[in-house]
Amino acid sequence: MDKNDHAAIQAVLAGDKEAYGALVVRHSHLLFRVAYRITGNEADADDVVQEAFLRGYRKLEGFESRANFGTWIYRIAVHCALDKVKHRRGDETSRVGDSNDPELDQLQVADQAAGPDRILLSGEIGSMQEAALHSLTVTERTAFVLRHMEDRTTAEIGAALGIEPNAAKQAVFRAVQKLRRRLAPLRVAT
Amino acid sequence: MMHLTEEEMIGQAYGEGESAAAVERHLEDCRECAEAFADLQRDLADMNRVIAPGRDAHYGERVWAAITDSLPVYVKEKRRWWSRGLYRGLMYATTCGLLVGCAFFAGQWWEKHKQPQPPTAKQAPAPQQSKQQPIVVVVLDDHLDRSERFLVELKHADLDSSAMASPMRDEARSLLAANRVCKKNAAKSDDPELTTALDHLDSLLADAANEPGGLNAQSIARLQDEMNRDGVLFEVRVLRSRVTHREGSGGIPAKGGTI
Repeated sequence: MDKNDHAAIQAVLAGDKEAYGALVVRHSHLLFRVAYRITGNEADADDVVQEAFLRGYRKLEGFESRANFGTWIYRIAVHCALDKVKHRRGDETSRVGDSNDPELDQLQVADQAAGPDRILLSGEIGSMQEAALHSLTVTERTAFVLRHMEDRTTAEIGAALGIEPNAAKQAVFRAVQKLRRRLAPLRVAT
Repeated sequence: MMHLTEEEMIGQAYGEGESAAAVERHLEDCRECAEAFADLQRDLADMNRVIAPGRDAHYGERVWAAITDSLPVYVKEKRRWWSRGLYRGLMYATTCGLLVGCAFFAGQWWEKHKQPQPPTAKQAPAPQQSKQQPIVVVVLDDHLDRSERFLVELKHADLDSSAMASPMRDEARSLLAANRVCKKNAAKSDDPELTTALDHLDSLLADAANEPGGLNAQSIARLQDEMNRDGVLFEVRVLRSRVTHREGSGGIPAKGGTI
């Protein structure tokens, strides 16, 4: 564990609240990145970062000094992001990817833009992929984001999601399979 | 030739395949799978385009400014581990001491209320004695009554019949035990008349109770002679009438004893 992190935690628990500020500054960017990749939304990601640090502060007494604060607060941020996405999805009345009908999927993709050529030309393929990513279940998307973009092992993903490593691995597999099917029209076009 | 599944290829792409070496060999041998694997790698590479928007160098400070007012200050207890242990130890010791003390005083209270108070020197013996006397008189009167009936039976016993011999001996033994208790108490009462009569009765009852081989015509005749010679029946009747008279007049009764 980082000695600076350890010293800051000890100071906070001794009554120096301001010492927590150093931890926030040090880990905010990492938390924002993963929060954005899970939520797909800047405002939500900012909320997730703040919520994660608030939760972390309240649970700081239970933090084991041998653990890594960065990993620990990262897991909390993943949980917060999942909560955010679940809460947001509960409010939505219609979502992309609820249907298993391939034709409807293609129509939904076509709704994002006029056609594959135009998508490529306008440089909006990233947003198409993002839309495909958000058509996954929360667990699948989070597992994929943590594995593919955050380079976390399946054991770490399982710990973050509260599932077995093998289940995390299967979630990653399903996510990749679904994404490839969903993005197949783009690949043909290119 | 068996082709690789999509899952096997995804596992291989992420370096998490269960048999990475075998999959690698298959990809070298199978062109179709190698092309599929290349497609997969390209797709996965394309997916990296989802890039999080950047945040400036002051982002962390802004996050801290946003949450700092919501955070309470930790108040750390400054008790050391040994002081906590000492405090707990003292608490246990105090609790144990209280329990032992309560048990001790409860036991004392129980013993005090359970056992009757022994008589003290200040207590007057007379009232206590007067309480016991009615019981003693009844016992002596009963003993004299039983003794008189036994003596009458002995006086009129049929020398030719042995049917009554065994019950008479049992009765003599019973009376002998009671008579000794009465004699013991009579000795303390300074009543020579009572003592003499009970002595005579004791001798007769002892002979009747301890006759070797049991009572028979010969022994009964001898006991009758002894009874008539000492006038035991007469003495018992006199004593009995005296005890009855004392009991009825409310005077000081003669002490018999407690059985």
